[in-house]
Amino acid sequence: MRKVLPLTVAKKDKFREGGVKFKRLSIWLFCIPGAVVTLIFGWYPMIWAMVIAFQKFMIIGPSKWIGLGNFSSILQDPILPIVIKNTFYYALLSIGLTFIIPILVAILLMEMSKKTVRIMMWLWFIPLSSMASIVILKWMYNVDYGLLNGILVSFGLPESGWLNDPRIAMLCLVLPGLIMFAPGLIYIATIQAIPKELYENAHLEGASVWQQIWHISLPRLRPVISMMLILAVISNLQIFSQPYIMTGGGPGTATTVFVMEIYSQAFNRYAFGRASALAIILFCIILTLIIIQRKFVKENLDE
Amino acid sequence: MLIPEVGRKKWRVRIILIGITAFLWLGVVLHLFPFYWAMAVSVTPPDDAYKLPPNFFPSHPDFLVYRTIFSHGFTLFMRSPLWVYVKNSFIMTGGIIAIQIPLMALVAYSLSKLISARWNRIVFLFFIGTMFVPGSLTIISRYLLLRYFPFISKGPAKFPTYNFLDSYWAVILPATFSGFSILLFKGFFDTIPNELLNAARLDGASEIGIFRRIVLPLSRPVFSVVCYFTFIGSWNNFLWPLIVLKKDRLMPLSLMIYNLQAKMETSFRPGEEGGISWYASNDALKMGYGYTALMAVAIIEAIPVFLMFIVFREEIMKGVRLRGFK
Repeated sequence: MRKVLPLTVAKKDKFREGGVKFKRLSIWLFCIPGAVVTLIFGWYPMIWAMVIAFQKFMIIGPSKWIGLGNFSSILQDPILPIVIKNTFYYALLSIGLTFIIPILVAILLMEMSKKTVRIMMWLWFIPLSSMASIVILKWMYNVDYGLLNGILVSFGLPESGWLNDPRIAMLCLVLPGLIMFAPGLIYIATIQAIPKELYENAHLEGASVWQQIWHISLPRLRPVISMMLILAVISNLQIFSQPYIMTGGGPGTATTVFVMEIYSQAFNRYAFGRASALAIILFCIILTLIIIQRKFVKENLDE
Repeated sequence: MLIPEVGRKKWRVRIILIGITAFLWLGVVLHLFPFYWAMAVSVTPPDDAYKLPPNFFPSHPDFLVYRTIFSHGFTLFMRSPLWVYVKNSFIMTGGIIAIQIPLMALVAYSLSKLISARWNRIVFLFFIGTMFVPGSLTIISRYLLLRYFPFISKGPAKFPTYNFLDSYWAVILPATFSGFSILLFKGFFDTIPNELLNAARLDGASEIGIFRRIVLPLSRPVFSVVCYFTFIGSWNNFLWPLIVLKKDRLMPLSLMIYNLQAKMETSFRPGEEGGISWYASNDALKMGYGYTALMAVAIIEAIPVFLMFIVFREEIMKGVRLRGFK
């Protein structure tokens, strides 16, 4: 957050003689276009999202108020516990398996010589289009023609069902995340800002590699890690493309996740009210997790 | 540097370093392998595409499939030729960038330099608050807003509403604001010294003139970074186009790839001939053509993302620091 200067200083600094009146006008000119789109496409739908959840949407005529009707019908739906379980399973698997990789790589990359770092940073962080990766991996998983079964067969091993096998389908969905590692650059930028003397001193005092990582690198990465963790939780609980494209929620309901259920309630069954109620439940879950996380992960680094 | 330069000759340290290097190279290989594989498949002659064991190094690279999909032959798989989808993707991404970035830059600039401390916090929250609400919450209300613009819940019967669905605007408009872009911009504008701006003010420059002549030339790095993030985000946008676009000729590449592979899947399933693939020649999909074409399209879809990275790489490497958060 921005430092709040004492008012007089701020005034002296910002509003010099002469320009004040025009400046007020230009603030409006600068802010209004952005404010209008944020209001119309940001806040307005957000507030209505809460309203729709308490209404029954009618194709003809105005919507009817039905109080908590949508919520009670969603809570009685046997799909809800399945969807919650799947969503959390996915998020846990995905964060557990993939979150640490970019951090580890960022720390290890610094050990390489300057030349290697340059090349490797390039190769590691070349962005791969997520849509293309998902589709390519889906066809690598294909039971009859896919590469993975092809490899298994050529080694004389039994074929696997991959995405068709309810036991490992979710694991297969998470794997693309293992090879896509996008956010590593943020960690690199932070690590490069750590003064080298810290490591040299620690080494002179006989600290091991792990101690150096634990006591020097990680504490300085903590604000970034904590922010990335929040973002990872938010985005993983809202995962849609991976399961929708790769499995369509199957086999059975083994990979049906929250946003997919919202989508199918809303746009396959046109039950906008029920879908909104689902979305609010998801929103509450995410909000609770963020609050818990902010409570437990201290952001301030005590120097 | 965890391991100091001097100790690097010892054999134990050397083994650790070799281990680290091997691990990092393994990661690079895993990272790039799917795309290598897609490229290898796309240049395999269609008749060999499904052959097992897999052929990692196609001995007779054959660019037939690229010629097919760039020509009118693509209508064998999808309703419109490939360039239509490419054009759609560029129009939508370009539209989002062209509208969102100037608007958000101006907002961030006035947040950083113009608005007095008293109002700053509340204006900041107004713009950033949208960022912390998950997008899935507003899917339905955004859809209804675009359907019955400017109402969400149909509104008074006699008042005319405008239907934005099935147009480029349906994808562009909801993406015209972004708290994330404001944060990135503001983080940069905060580092521009006030003295510089005040000096220009004393010389009688207008606020817009100051922004254009002084701030913009300084801000190349941050504009590149925001451009890059916005581009990546909107290029791979899948859920939103899926909801608001039903007409095939408006679909972006990301949605088209999904449809293409779904069509291939149904073409393998017996008894679903009347499904999505009703007009496509099932045989063309079933034989290697569909597979190689799908991989070629995936490669084509990934190229702009890669190009953006190359164009903006220096700025991205330098500029990825989210200062606004602290």
